[in-house]
Amino acid sequence: MSIAGDLIRGHTDAVILARLLRSDSYGYEINKTISAISSGRLELKEATLYTAFKRLEEQGLITSYWGDSGAGARRRYYAITPAGQLASRRLTKEWQETKEIMDKLLEVEEET
Amino acid sequence: MREQLAQYVELLFAGNGDVEDIKEEILQNTLDRYDDLIAQGKSPQDAYRLSITGIGDVNEIINGKAAPGYTQENQAPTYAPMPEFEGTAAVVSRMMRAIAIFLYIVSPIPLFLFDRLGWDEVGVCCLLIIVGIATALLLLFKSPKAKEQPQEYTEYTDRPRNSGSQRELKKSVGKLISTVGLVLYFIISFSTGAWFITWLIFPIIGAVKGVVNSCIDLREDY
Repeated sequence: MSIAGDLIRGHTDAVILARLLRSDSYGYEINKTISAISSGRLELKEATLYTAFKRLEEQGLITSYWGDSGAGARRRYYAITPAGQLASRRLTKEWQETKEIMDKLLEVEEET
Repeated sequence: MREQLAQYVELLFAGNGDVEDIKEEILQNTLDRYDDLIAQGKSPQDAYRLSITGIGDVNEIINGKAAPGYTQENQAPTYAPMPEFEGTAAVVSRMMRAIAIFLYIVSPIPLFLFDRLGWDEVGVCCLLIIVGIATALLLLFKSPKAKEQPQEYTEYTDRPRNSGSQRELKKSVGKLISTVGLVLYFIISFSTGAWFITWLIFPIIGAVKGVVNSCIDLREDY
């Protein structure tokens, strides 16, 4: 998983944007979703996640606000901006293309 | 254990000024993870350990920049751009330094030539002029490393330490040359008695030092 993990980590921004496209969320929740979807094979470090949030926020792709969730815990929620939605769609499209190309490239190798 | 986690996060960011928001966010996420792990039936010790592992390297946050490999999504991905090693200015400067060294080496030639013709003074003047030009060239086209090392790349090289040892080397070699030159001056002067001309050893020492320093500089460049 380490190589695939590194590959995916290179797309942290795209993954976060795709999560936020569905609903506003906070750090641990996003990480938990990523972990659940990948069947526990991918989990981001808090520091990595936080750095990605900061970067996306600086680029104007997401915004954040402090929110209360029940038991008195204050959490910083993140929401995607219209620019972020565009970026997310573009990144998803880019990934589809990359995947297509890689599939074809690796297919040829199997045929020969 | 939750208290200990709070202390742990507090310590992680200790000594950093404006990080209250970051601390609160990271702590909340870490506590969420801890509660989750406890709910999954982990022991408090295991949950504590796993929660701390999950934080990762906070230096990438504190330093305010992403780790290498996390470039902006609209830039070229996952590799750091190579520094532009040589602009034309760097090439010209290197050429000028090479010319300066060449001048140092050929500087005694007029001395020999004019000596044949019996015009000693002209030869000496030519030597001094050539040495002067060469020194001026070296001063004008100093090794660019010292002044325009791009800031971002300094951490990937051990250049500063290197330059330090380079300077030490230059200093000690310079002293050695001066001492040897002085000894030579006295030996030659006493043995030949030609005191009126042996003082020329001193400009020659200067020239030799210049050549050696430039050689050290050039070696550093490659």
